[in-house]
Amino acid sequence: MANHEELTAFSVAELAEKFRTRQLSPVEVADAYLKRIEELDEKIVAYITVTHDEARAAARRAESEIAAGHWRGPFHGVPVALKDLCYTAGILTTGGSKILAGFVPNHDCTLWARLKAAGAVLLGKLNLHEFASGATNSNPHWGVCHNPYDLTRIPGGSSGGSAAAIVARLAAATIGTDTGGSIRIPAAFCGCIGMKQTWSRVSRYGVLPLSDSLDHAGPITRTVRDAALMLSAIAGRDPLDSTSSGEPVPDYAAALTGDIKGMRVGVIKELTIGLSDEVAHGFNAAMHQMRELGAEVADVSVPSIAMAASVATNIMFAEAAEYHEQWMRTRADDYGNDVRRTLEAGMLTPAIYYVRAQRARAAVLAEALNALEKCAVLAVPTSAIPAPRIASGGRALHDSGASVDLVADVLRFTAPFNVTGQPALAIPIGTAPKGMPLSMQIVGRPFDEATVFRVAGAYEQARPALPLPKL
Amino acid sequence: MARLSANAVKLFAAELFDYEIPAYAAETVARMVGANGHYARRMEGLRLSGIQPPFGYPTMIVEAERLRRSRS
Repeated sequence: MANHEELTAFSVAELAEKFRTRQLSPVEVADAYLKRIEELDEKIVAYITVTHDEARAAARRAESEIAAGHWRGPFHGVPVALKDLCYTAGILTTGGSKILAGFVPNHDCTLWARLKAAGAVLLGKLNLHEFASGATNSNPHWGVCHNPYDLTRIPGGSSGGSAAAIVARLAAATIGTDTGGSIRIPAAFCGCIGMKQTWSRVSRYGVLPLSDSLDHAGPITRTVRDAALMLSAIAGRDPLDSTSSGEPVPDYAAALTGDIKGMRVGVIKELTIGLSDEVAHGFNAAMHQMRELGAEVADVSVPSIAMAASVATNIMFAEAAEYHEQWMRTRADDYGNDVRRTLEAGMLTPAIYYVRAQRARAAVLAEALNALEKCAVLAVPTSAIPAPRIASGGRALHDSGASVDLVADVLRFTAPFNVTGQPALAIPIGTAPKGMPLSMQIVGRPFDEATVFRVAGAYEQARPALPLPKL
Repeated sequence: MARLSANAVKLFAAELFDYEIPAYAAETVARMVGANGHYARRMEGLRLSGIQPPFGYPTMIVEAERLRRSRS
């Protein structure tokens, strides 16, 4: 029998093939993950709840179904974990908060219901910034989550546990959520794939909201192919979410042709300003790689993108404050200070600002679509800096000791695509001299995730793999 | 940058929501609301007149039908 390091090294696509052909047992793989979580998660704090018994039972069920010839597809028997914002029937769902510290839903969110129906094995629920309202994942209630590449640095947030679990090999695939960058920021800081698909593509039913009109739930994985497989499994119209889209869901993995010859990649020039040297160098090298693959790389302009992070902030503050108002009146002391300040600011954000910001979304999208008229996709860095250091109060620090401005250095690169609702995938582009991962986003037209996957997949095949974190 | 005083945010929170913003936090909250206002005013430069906000009527109809079923 292989040891747990070998068993947890496989991608979803590899596991699927090994399970289907009965070269590996879902039970031994689930046990390997549970053992690794037990050994390593004390220092990473990626998990809030580990569902040992449920995982073993589901793995046993998968094993006997596959043995009986009933293979359900690529997630059958695959160990996954969910951000603890996702309802799971009979399993603690905290939102990373003290307020929901004892909340056990009686139903599943739709995306977990779909993964479960596909045969996935739930390892547990993952740490996050409290109520998904922040980008550091320094959670005052459930523990500070650490970056597996350097435990003194943040994993990013709010889905920090989801990304840390992927690179530390504490789950084969995870779900995160993204309101201003919360899938892509941790994917960038931890060095994995984070896919925020088109808004409405994946049901939000049963996912605790931060900001309804900006929220997305989507895959965080080791490979582009795994993200494509996971999105295919969870996407599509859901009668329980009236905002979910009825657009047909293609077979995303089929888009991974590896060929991007002749495709044009537009670099949004407004988002290449103010980068750290290591990000600028990594991003330029990635664009060079795109050219080597036969793509044409050209600068494009989206002038209003400079305003997009504040459009997102005005919307998110107001929508979050409306959702939390009752708890703020009755249990304000149970919030962490940083989240409480955000909600207080939201309570006092005038409706005029909110409606204006909503109107502004179409203006930003119009410019992005103009840029895409002659390009297959857009490319931008995922942040201006690699993962910064952990600090108190939900903050983060540069190596110099100065506080990181999370809007200027991070959200201004990610939040624009929550504002426009476009698909945006974060993919590693190498490491900085200190070993921390660097990342770029590939951004597509609404509902054209397939092209995003195609470009990202080709780039991923061509670039060297990131070294594994030393844990 | 729009300027809002700490006292103003404390007062609004108390009057509108019966909520007390702690004195030590009021300045921070005032700065955050002020920043939102500053940028909301700058958004006027995006020529927003005539753009419909993305609130869909079809969604409202579906939600109403769902409520009728669940509440009847």
